[in-house]
Amino acid sequence: MILLRNKVLYKASKRVYKEAVLHAQLQSAGSNQQRYLERIEKDRIARSPDIIYKLLATIYIASLTFLPILSVFSMYRQLSEGSSFEWLNFASGIVNGAFFFIQLVILVVFALMLAWGIMSGGPYEWIHTLPFSRKEIEKIGLLTFVRSINVQLIAMTLVLPIGMTVAISLTIGPYISIWKILAIILLSIVLSLVNTCFNIGILIILSRKLAIVMEEYDFASKKASFIRIGTMFAYFFVSMFIFSVVNIGIQNLDAFYGLNGLSIKDSTLISNILSFVPYPFSSGYLLSIFVLDFNGVAPLTIVGSVIGFLFHCLITFLVIRKALTILRNISSPEIKRKKIMRRKTIVEDIVTKNLPPVRAFMKRDLSIITREMQQIVVLILPIMMPIYTAITGYVEDFHVIYGNTTVTVYFIIMMVYVLTNTMAMIVSTTTIETGGETIMAALPINERDKMKSKIPYFFGTIVIGMLLSLLVMIKSPIFIGTLYLTLSFLLVFPIIGVAGLLLKVRLFGKFRHKYVVEEIKGKYKFSKYVLIILLISLMMVMFIFSAVVGYWLIFTCEAVCLVLLVFTFNYMFPKKEWKVKYLF
Amino acid sequence: MSIGKEPMIKVQQITKSFGDVVAVNNLSFEVKPGEVFGLLGPNGAGKTTTVKLILGLLELDQGEIEVFGLHPEKDEVEIKKKLGYVSEDPLIYKSMTPKMLFDFITSIRDLDEAKTTEKLRYYLESLEAVEYYEKLIATLSRGNKQKMQVIASLIHDPDLLILDEPLTGLDAKSAKVVKEIIELHSERGGSVIFSTHILEVAEDICDRIAIIDRGKLVALGTVEELSKMADKAGADLETIFLKLTQQDESVNHIIQNLRKMFHNDKKK
Ligand SMILES: Nc1ncnc2c1ncn2[C@@H]1O[C@H](COP(=O)(O)OP(=O)(O)O)[C@@H](O)[C@H]1O
Ligand SMILES: [Mg+2]
Repeated sequence: MILLRNKVLYKASKRVYKEAVLHAQLQSAGSNQQRYLERIEKDRIARSPDIIYKLLATIYIASLTFLPILSVFSMYRQLSEGSSFEWLNFASGIVNGAFFFIQLVILVVFALMLAWGIMSGGPYEWIHTLPFSRKEIEKIGLLTFVRSINVQLIAMTLVLPIGMTVAISLTIGPYISIWKILAIILLSIVLSLVNTCFNIGILIILSRKLAIVMEEYDFASKKASFIRIGTMFAYFFVSMFIFSVVNIGIQNLDAFYGLNGLSIKDSTLISNILSFVPYPFSSGYLLSIFVLDFNGVAPLTIVGSVIGFLFHCLITFLVIRKALTILRNISSPEIKRKKIMRRKTIVEDIVTKNLPPVRAFMKRDLSIITREMQQIVVLILPIMMPIYTAITGYVEDFHVIYGNTTVTVYFIIMMVYVLTNTMAMIVSTTTIETGGETIMAALPINERDKMKSKIPYFFGTIVIGMLLSLLVMIKSPIFIGTLYLTLSFLLVFPIIGVAGLLLKVRLFGKFRHKYVVEEIKGKYKFSKYVLIILLISLMMVMFIFSAVVGYWLIFTCEAVCLVLLVFTFNYMFPKKEWKVKYLF
Repeated sequence: MSIGKEPMIKVQQITKSFGDVVAVNNLSFEVKPGEVFGLLGPNGAGKTTTVKLILGLLELDQGEIEVFGLHPEKDEVEIKKKLGYVSEDPLIYKSMTPKMLFDFITSIRDLDEAKTTEKLRYYLESLEAVEYYEKLIATLSRGNKQKMQVIASLIHDPDLLILDEPLTGLDAKSAKVVKEIIELHSERGGSVIFSTHILEVAEDICDRIAIIDRGKLVALGTVEELSKMADKAGADLETIFLKLTQQDESVNHIIQNLRKMFHNDKKK
């Protein structure tokens, strides 16, 4: 009977969970909600975006297994190469601490979106109208949360024990007693469990904090926008960070242990202090001490890490208790929300401003963009992607020299980025127009102004991204070649962007007596987009080809294209509307 | 205001289909200056489609429309300068606040800042919506969104108001205020097209009513004229409305079945 009931609860938690996923997605979709809902109607994959987050997080967490393994290998190698025992203890304490911390970061960043959805309490509202008791609803709350991070949890608890077992059995295993091996494995299980609990608790507390800020009625606040932009950046930085840790870690871990960078005295002193720090270093040192040898480690470090770890356990206990209270409150019918004090609008605050139309459009677009996850991504991507590529070391010294021009592989990769980003920008600047249809429908709008307000985007972030990525690779041998190319291409990006935009308007926005920015003619969508991509890619190829011939040709092409664009723009969007003529 | 004797809106034998559905079928009427003209009909009758045709938001299949003597498709911008529109669904920017929205409207319509500010304060106060001025539109209730839409349609003193179910979601007090605004607007010589599916509302507000059903005009006249028709048939306006829109029989049928179902349940 109870078993049956639990099954019902588990089923209910699935519904709540699905609801939360949708909730989180809708929140990030902002004013594109309608579009999003239409998409998930057709697309099954779009319905479960959580799987992608789970998968990514699990892959990242699992890929961390190498850290303890390599760490143990290097420690023993460097011990025989002459690194001091104290230095190794210090270094491995730091590396292990980093290991625990990175786990937390990965968990939080990738689960945060979903956790917001759950923490808002919204998904539980409907459950309350069904015949469930309070206790049962609490249980559903916990089940739902566990569901949202189930795969990560398993990965997180297994990574360290498996990693240590492999590492120990391959290194010192044959030389030490079975009891010591078991002790090390047992310790890594304990550490793993305590840290996993700690991580879950932190995730729950953090996501509740964020949910309060993001609580719908405070959705518009600067703080909420900031957090949204912040998480977006966090996704990128964590991906970049993990990538670099894997990359740099594999290459340099051994060197780090071999560095022997501090004197015995200094190493001991710092270890003594750090081992008292409950999170993440006490766990790190405890592991390090077990793997090395008790006898060699300064007694204070041992005492410190034990005391530190006990404190860590205590903190974990408190964190979990707090987290459970939060979950209980979330799933209770009256969510105990922190009342956010807000200033009341008084009549005197109401003032309207009259701006020139183009600026008014831009202001509107920016206020929408900064509140919508998808739009922010489109704005940020062009800056992030080139830098990302430059940093992660894909800047191969591979290039072809034609006359005076050096065409690098790096630059070609950049061009592919520019094309994708341009497309994304074209789509997003035009989709801003949907969402306010009824207001726009009644306004006497000059399409020329509206169109003009879109153009600055193509001069903005893509160009900035290219220039910033140059800064990153300033030391690279291909810097000068790429610099010339980038500078001569600076106008190409906006030209291609605006050309693509005009093309999109031409294909989608032919509306009776004029062209409009909105998508009016939605038929043959796919073919139309393919056509746009083909044509702007062709333009790009043309420019790259002209770069091969010589800089003078690029500049000539740019000048010609610019004149053509201005002409086309004025033709499609004349100053006096009634003169509008169709192109083709 | 530049209002003459000419009709504000002239609709002549317009037809509009969506695929197989004929949403508006050979519809004709005129709206005079100072008149509140009601479009009354059940859900799906074609009211919204008619309104959108007048606004030039949809393309006509057949017929002709003139607004202020201008062509709604060709002189769209000129017409919209003198027109206010409240749509059926308040599809106003969710990620903006009313403050941003009204700034935007002021800019696009090129309105005087001081005057508009004064009017805006007044309207927000009288509709009791001041406190939502800086909240995100997405978070407003249906009624408050509707209020913002109504204010947005009034802020530039239009000659013509096109209101598609404008009272949806409004509380009694706000509805009363909006009705009063409509009346004052028409006293000043402005015209109103008022679409609704609720008979009492149309009766209450409109000078003349066009009853449409499945895209067709089934009756047109002042409230008195329609009432006389009803009296002659020895019935009230609601019965006549249901009869004209051929809903009387099906309503009776539905009610009978409902009674049966409730009755059977009680027995068990
Ligand atoms: N965009 C559209 N596509 C297809 N059919 C539509 C569309 N808009 C309205 N219709 C159909 O036209 C008819 C009239 O709709 P509408 O004008 O919205 O009615 P009302 O506003 O009187 O309730 C309905 O049958 C509706 O389904
Ligand atoms: Mg309607």
